[in-house]
Amino acid sequence: MADARGSGQYEVMLFALVLLLTIVFIASILAWAGNGPARPDGLRGWIRARGPGLLLLPVAMSAAVMAGGAHGLIPAELGIAFLLIVLGPKLAAKLVPFGVFGLAIFGVMLANMYHGGFTNRVQYLFVHAGPGIWGTRPVLAEAVVLFVVGLWLLLRLDARGAGLVRALGARWLGSGRRGVSGAHALLLIPVVGLVMQLLGPGNWFGIQSIDGLDAALIDLAMAMAALVLIFRSRAWAATVAAAGLLVLGTYGWLIAAFWPAVPGFSYAFSDLANSSTPSPLWTDALEGSVLLALGLWLAPRVTRHHLADLPDPELAARARQLAQRVQTLTKTRHEAVDTAAAELRRIERDLHDGAQARLVALGMSLRAAERMFASNPEAALALVTEAKETSSRALADLRDLVRGIYPPVLADRGLADAVRALALDTPLHTELDIDLPGEVERPVGAAVYFAIAEALTNAVRHSGARIVRVHLSHSGPGGPGTGTLRAEVTDDGAGGADPGRGTGLAGVERRLSTFDGILAVSSPPGGPTIVVIEVPCALSSAKTSIY
Amino acid sequence: MRVVIGEDLYLLREGLVRLLTAHDFEIAAAVGTAPELTAALVEQRPDVGIVDVRMPPNNTDDGLRAALRARQQVPGLPVLVLSQYVEQLYARELLADQAGGVGYLLKDRVFNDDQFTGAIRTVAAGGTVLDPEVVNKLMIRHSRTEPVARLTAREREVLGLMAEGRTNVAIAQRLFVTEKAVSKHAASIFAKLDLAPSDDDNRRVLAVLAYLESLPGWNPYRDGR
Repeated sequence: MADARGSGQYEVMLFALVLLLTIVFIASILAWAGNGPARPDGLRGWIRARGPGLLLLPVAMSAAVMAGGAHGLIPAELGIAFLLIVLGPKLAAKLVPFGVFGLAIFGVMLANMYHGGFTNRVQYLFVHAGPGIWGTRPVLAEAVVLFVVGLWLLLRLDARGAGLVRALGARWLGSGRRGVSGAHALLLIPVVGLVMQLLGPGNWFGIQSIDGLDAALIDLAMAMAALVLIFRSRAWAATVAAAGLLVLGTYGWLIAAFWPAVPGFSYAFSDLANSSTPSPLWTDALEGSVLLALGLWLAPRVTRHHLADLPDPELAARARQLAQRVQTLTKTRHEAVDTAAAELRRIERDLHDGAQARLVALGMSLRAAERMFASNPEAALALVTEAKETSSRALADLRDLVRGIYPPVLADRGLADAVRALALDTPLHTELDIDLPGEVERPVGAAVYFAIAEALTNAVRHSGARIVRVHLSHSGPGGPGTGTLRAEVTDDGAGGADPGRGTGLAGVERRLSTFDGILAVSSPPGGPTIVVIEVPCALSSAKTSIY
Repeated sequence: MRVVIGEDLYLLREGLVRLLTAHDFEIAAAVGTAPELTAALVEQRPDVGIVDVRMPPNNTDDGLRAALRARQQVPGLPVLVLSQYVEQLYARELLADQAGGVGYLLKDRVFNDDQFTGAIRTVAAGGTVLDPEVVNKLMIRHSRTEPVARLTAREREVLGLMAEGRTNVAIAQRLFVTEKAVSKHAASIFAKLDLAPSDDDNRRVLAVLAYLESLPGWNPYRDGR
């Protein structure tokens, strides 16, 4: 295909392909990593849903080009990538960072092979058909980008990827966090030195040779740069060092393995690109081994350090939940305190204007009767009779007050019987369906009782209903000790009730929210009106008499 | 007439003892807890037991339960239940055995000792006395339902007083009408409610209640408790 590759048409096609892939690649990263809400049906939503898998595209493409050249195979590889995307975005997401990493390393190696004289192999460098006026620079730039992206993906993946990295890390490293010190980062020096030898100005700018002094100066300069990096972020400096050590160590071994097998391959660590006196192979193997050992020693530490910073997706979700919970609790606690205070004020007022006032009147009547007892017994008797009536009224006041605080039937019999009593006092045809195998906690019982009472009152007052049904049940999906208490009040009235308008239901809702309970009203015009109350709560065993 | 009193509050218990002694009742026992009450009712077999709903040991409706238990052991044992509040639910439980001899009054009614002792005697004689407040609630509840709605205001009033356990004579006095007029109202009520007329006061009350009970929505035990 050499002739085709030379044609302008082919170049344009490749260029368009690279452009397209780059756009898709960047778009999917942006879409995936973006924090903004995405409509699930929109393009962005689609990309986000498939995002991790889309990242496979450049990987698959590059792999295809490297494996088979930039022809025939591309559609097949694209098909495989899409298949992976559609079948398993999760699996794809887990493979991506490793693929990206692999490509980055491969790109560096191929670039060096090119400088080592293997120009015929370099035609497979990514999607670039061969070195043009830019030399291997685009390939190296792409490798660097891929490397950074792979690293970023590994360390900043969302729930899916991070879960895998975390799981692997946990198995590999055990638990616990150890710090990364500046000393670790100093390992950058040999890395920088070697990288500069391999990829440095000598190769980059086409300089034919760099002698020992140049190399030492470059090493020193880059080490200084590394130290600057260290002061900015030791962790990242150490990370780069670890990655470099691993790559270069592997590279050393590859050289030792490749050189004898590949005719004309004369490139090695200790030599510069175009040195004519290669050192013995064992030096590369030794150097590779040392670098690998250092890399293997450093990598776990670096990884552990980053893992500790990496948000555990489960923990993060839990933290969000807890934050929300705290917000809810703060709100409901304020409301509960306010409600309780208002309730106490009401009780105080009722007592003051009701029973207390009547008792004062009672005392006054009795005192007056006492004074008239001798002089005017008949009038005294009338006053005593009046006093008696006043005390009756005081009792009635207190009775009403007590009912509003905590209904006696509820105290005596619990929620089920209290609701039965409520139904009996409702001047409507009331059907009950109560399935409560145990008793709920008193405060919850009271809140639900008053909620049902309010719903029944509304049904009587506003709906014009003929029949009202009360359904009370408890379901415990979470095993013993947990569950949900559910009450449903349905009337066959005219409907059209606005739950936002009445203060009664709003108060009830506030009271329920203290127990994480909810109240929902459905009241379409024409009815029926359905009031649903749900409170998470446990049921204790049914109340039994002790004698 | 022998009476057993179950009331946990000392002041009220002593007050009741003093009141009833003054009206020539014989106090067979005056106890303060539910287990003692059951025992006293069963052992003493009084003419009537006067029982507070809320009593130790649980301080819920122990007194009521004790009375119901005693009536299970001594069927038809007359019991007058007193409470700071009245509930149709409890009234229905007391009337459930259809044996009569049941009273259910607010404690305030003690203030009117004549009416109160009258109620005790009615209950002791096997009659039924319900507190006007319970009767009111019954009437409110059923005023919307046919065919109670067909009753005139006066007839409803008479029906209420009948449910309170009053005789035609007492109702006539209360409403300032002749006894004959009350009889006429009663006959009209029975006709409208399809009840067979009866001379027996207790049966009359029970018939009325049974009728109200049979109305849809009245029976709170339809859920199979």
